Amino acid sequence: MRFEGSDHYHLNAELHEIVNIAIAMEKPLLLTGEAGTGKTRLAFEIARSLGLQMEEARCKSTFKGEELCYVYDTVLRLNDSRFGSGTTGRDVDNIWDYLRFGPIGRAFLAEDRRVLLLDEIDKTDSDAQDNLLDVLEDGSFIIREINHRVAARIKPIIVITSNAKRELSDPFLRRCFCHAIPFPPPEEMALIVRLHFPRIPEHFLQACLTSFYRLREQGFEKPPATAELLDWIGSMEAGGRQAPGAGKDVAHIGTLLKRSQDLLKFKGAWKPPRY
Amino acid sequence: MIGFIYELREAGVPVSVQYILEFFHALERGLAPDLDRLFLLARLIFVKREEHYDAFEQAFASFFFGANPARRALAWEDLISGKPFREWLEREIESGRLPPDAVSEFGMEGLLSRFFETLLAQEGEHHGGSTWVGTRGRSPFGHGGMSGGGIRVHGQGLHGTARKVIADRRFVNYSGKSALAAENLRQALASLKSLRPTGPETELDVDETVSRTARNGGEIELVFRRELRNRLKLIVLLDNGGYSMTPYVPLVRTVFAKIAGTLRDLRTFYFHNCVYGAVYLDPPRTRPLNWKVLANESRNTRLVIIGDANMAPAELMASYGSLDVGAVERKPGREWLKELRGMFPASVWLNPIPEERWRYESATIGQIGRIFHMEDLTLAGIKRAVEHLNAEGRTVDGR
Repeated sequence: MRFEGSDHYHLNAELHEIVNIAIAMEKPLLLTGEAGTGKTRLAFEIARSLGLQMEEARCKSTFKGEELCYVYDTVLRLNDSRFGSGTTGRDVDNIWDYLRFGPIGRAFLAEDRRVLLLDEIDKTDSDAQDNLLDVLEDGSFIIREINHRVAARIKPIIVITSNAKRELSDPFLRRCFCHAIPFPPPEEMALIVRLHFPRIPEHFLQACLTSFYRLREQGFEKPPATAELLDWIGSMEAGGRQAPGAGKDVAHIGTLLKRSQDLLKFKGAWKPPRY
Repeated sequence: MIGFIYELREAGVPVSVQYILEFFHALERGLAPDLDRLFLLARLIFVKREEHYDAFEQAFASFFFGANPARRALAWEDLISGKPFREWLEREIESGRLPPDAVSEFGMEGLLSRFFETLLAQEGEHHGGSTWVGTRGRSPFGHGGMSGGGIRVHGQGLHGTARKVIADRRFVNYSGKSALAAENLRQALASLKSLRPTGPETELDVDETVSRTARNGGEIELVFRRELRNRLKLIVLLDNGGYSMTPYVPLVRTVFAKIAGTLRDLRTFYFHNCVYGAVYLDPPRTRPLNWKVLANESRNTRLVIIGDANMAPAELMASYGSLDVGAVERKPGREWLKELRGMFPASVWLNPIPEERWRYESATIGQIGRIFHMEDLTLAGIKRAVEHLNAEGRTVDGR
């Protein structure tokens, strides 16, 4: 099973190899890097190009890890035991009727190989990450209520993304293949833009990239990334602009800079607070 | 290959047996048909944190491209400040081969290239050219040979990544070499815990529900409780004044950066030598934080004081002891510290001065050590401090 990029996603040679090594070794692939470098997209592209189904878990800070595997609906079972399950077909004596599986559980129990995406894992507590160690290690988790180990029928391809806002624990990292996606250099960025806007004129593209990389160097709180660049070019194309403009006169600046402080700084009105 | 693994360990990349097994497993399956892929494979298996990228790349270059590990310091700054370059420059100027005013003319790059020329010429004379430039292939500059356990180094690589990446040294700034190893410190800090019921009552208390339902004669009564979560709140008080702290600035900075990177709920205040009724919100100590505000927070917050506890005894013991000329506070510093200690049931004092020197350094260290539990800023000290905070904190969190 080899992953070979796709027509909507520019895959550099290094990342391509890395994905294939991770698939061959059946190890979870942890991608870190700036927002907008295509970490999450990569998981979708793997699924698309290999023709596999996706299971995605967008992490929240309140997650404990377990609910990604399964949820045991105690209240429903109590309710059924009191009032009867009626015509729902549930059997109160059978706990399996009251277990609902989360994305990890579904990926493990599926008959086919799936791509499992754990998005923005760094949002969760370190406790939640610890709860997922077994999942990463050998593709299994335990349903505590009945002490039953669910093992993956076919190990899914696990892709984990992290914005590295907070550091992940060592045991967690040990179980993954880790790769930091660097921000694409201009030549590669040109290829990426061309994939999305095949008809863009060369000089226009070059002018955009120049302005874009110049903006990135100015030390904004949230420097514009790939996603912003694509939005920006898209908005200019829709608006029929011939040139991106330069200096203070960049068109549709709102698509590139999102924070009001960055915008003010760009316009030159913002001064750092003085102590 | 085993040699490579030891090279990695020496370079400071943590290697576990599990990684090594994984590595050989992957080799067996033919996942590294060429050097570029071997590079990626090894990096995926052995490098888990960005701060190790650099060390890994150096070790890889050294083992597979035969670069001499002794000449690993490729960063210009290191090179220029290094002894060989200085000595070479002196020799050149003394011998008249390089007139003094030419030094500024050449610029740094010119100088460096001359330095390398000399170096290479010397290597040629002494060692037959096998280490730096040679045609037998054990070198980054040569070509057409075998190296590193029978793996083809040169010729057209599939993607050209390995050498390109190594040449780029994209992650050059990450290799953090400090007295306290970053990952150990991280682990020590990660065990800092404060389990406390938080949030709305959403977790079903099954036992209680069953028992109440039974008492109700089968009418279901659902009992919810709040979840137990790690919600650690930490206040760090930093002594940032005076000359006595100056030698410890880098050490304190490392530790503090780690604490700040690991914890979510952290606030920092500043003081100078001793605390007199207020701590400050900003490093220059111009905006004081009212004592009462601090007191309000204190019950379930952990307190870490980082300071050398080294001051004139009067600052600690006497009334009007503060060094601030305008201070009108009558209560001596010691009383204030006692009060602070009383406010924060879980607290610890971290002292950058190594423990064995406390007795000689200053009498006030012992005095303060009797008020606060004191540890030094070594890994062992921090581990003990964390244990101490957890032990003290458990009694507070119980409520």
